[in-house]
Amino acid sequence: MSTLWQAAGAEWAKLWSVRSTWWCLAAAAGLMVLAAVTLGGATATEALRGEGPAVPVVASEPVVSATSFAQFALVAAAMLAITAEYASGSIRVTLQAVPVRGVMLAAKALVVAPVMAAAGVLSGAVATAAVYLLLSLDAFRGLVVLPIGEVVPDLLGVGGFFAFVSVMTLGVGAAVRSAAGTLTVVFMLLLGLPLMMLMTGSQVALDASLRMPTFAGLAFMGSTDNMTGGPMPYSAGEGLAWLAAWTAAALAAGHAVLRRRDA
Amino acid sequence: MISLKGLSKRYGDRLVVDDLSLELKPGTVTGFLGPNGAGKSTTMRLVLGLDHPTSGTALIGGVPYHEIRNPLRTVGALLDARALHPGRSGYAHLVALARSNGIPRRRVTEVLETVGLAGAARKRAGTLSLGMSQRLGIAAALLGDPEVLMFDEPVNGLDPDGVRWVRGLMRSLAGEGRTVFVSSHLMSEMQLTADHLVAIGKGRLIMDAPLAEVIAGSSLTAVVVRTPHARELAVRLRAAGAEVTRSGENELVATGTPIERVGDLAHEAGIRLHELRTREASLEQAYQELTEQSVEYGAGRAGA
Repeated sequence: MSTLWQAAGAEWAKLWSVRSTWWCLAAAAGLMVLAAVTLGGATATEALRGEGPAVPVVASEPVVSATSFAQFALVAAAMLAITAEYASGSIRVTLQAVPVRGVMLAAKALVVAPVMAAAGVLSGAVATAAVYLLLSLDAFRGLVVLPIGEVVPDLLGVGGFFAFVSVMTLGVGAAVRSAAGTLTVVFMLLLGLPLMMLMTGSQVALDASLRMPTFAGLAFMGSTDNMTGGPMPYSAGEGLAWLAAWTAAALAAGHAVLRRRDA
Repeated sequence: MISLKGLSKRYGDRLVVDDLSLELKPGTVTGFLGPNGAGKSTTMRLVLGLDHPTSGTALIGGVPYHEIRNPLRTVGALLDARALHPGRSGYAHLVALARSNGIPRRRVTEVLETVGLAGAARKRAGTLSLGMSQRLGIAAALLGDPEVLMFDEPVNGLDPDGVRWVRGLMRSLAGEGRTVFVSSHLMSEMQLTADHLVAIGKGRLIMDAPLAEVIAGSSLTAVVVRTPHARELAVRLRAAGAEVTRSGENELVATGTPIERVGDLAHEAGIRLHELRTREASLEQAYQELTEQSVEYGAGRAGA
């Protein structure tokens, strides 16, 4: 156990000693605010025109929907934790220090998950405040509420979702190794494939696409208004289960490749 | 300390390391020689568990690398000095390594001073020269104060002062009883650094012997004699089984016989000698001879 703890300490030191981490986290926060404000503004505008329900917007609801876009900045940060080591060859130095592949991967996950969760909660809080401030303007007639009982679970959900997505990315990165390949695979899993499946119009493809990580995450976060046009047809618990299953599958794939292939 | 048994590594249909068996002893610098692509780096990666052997084993102190707890405290290795995140400082790189193996942080400062990099340690690794990267890599290898050290081409990119420093470092590490395994192309450097030599060609072991033995065994290591009776002495030396060439009016070069025997034969025949000395082959020459044989051997095998 202490081997894993030491390895995680090293990964922590590595994560914060490169600028790319800071850039990615800043980009994630920026994207969260931008997407949440846009989505929140759109919902309120629809309500004001009488096209949507004239109920006030919960300030954190557009933030939950914004994760579908902002997640990619955190995907980049998580990805770099492993693909940058393959790109520079320093993965060999890492494996000299921590030769058991599973421990190395677990150590990275142990650092990436809480960091990305914290990034989700913090950037989500900033984005929620931004939505609240924007919709409080006279132009939107204050059509916004900030119920702590809903906002807090939403923000924790965003953090949890980001933790899962970044650990999943880590698994894909360990399996694929190159940054371009990892980004392609993760993008397809998170957006490309589910959107393509939605477009087919087939019920089977629709049901399957709604179980992929992005939509499973929206279900887990209790999203009611998102790019699928409504709440998910299954519970938050099931959403969590699907998210966990995707993450576990990616980690297992990464671990299998790490064990079998030469470094 | 390092023990290879029947170690082989195949990439596709290419056998890069072929049935290699070796024992590396503590307290010696073992030079690892071989042309490019001979399998030296692969062998080192196999020892460190980075690559999986196709067959055979590589053990350190009797166990495979991945079973060593806090391995940096047992084995320090520098494989590729450029294998660094270009955006991370050398200091941060070493701090992360130290943490991973429970090494106190003051060691980072110590090894940076040892390699003379204390001033540049805060610079991003991407901005370091190759020589500085080598020093950083050596610092990383020394970090855990390990009993076994492996260096792949450590003097690449170093200036003459740096080369001399590395030579002294290797000697002193072995002097402290550590096992030092160092690969190099630079024969003259190995001749000054190594106690023991291991050479491979096409993945196969072609030499595993003490440096002194390798030099003495070369056909270019010879006895040089200057005498006014060169012709007469040549006849007697040939009769005694030596190979003799006449290198000048009064000078002979004899191989295959010790210098004492040459002196004794001359004395018995009453031949006056003006000079009697050993001319040692350089490691470069001895190595050249060995690898030429190996190349012929390899070509012969391919044709068969």
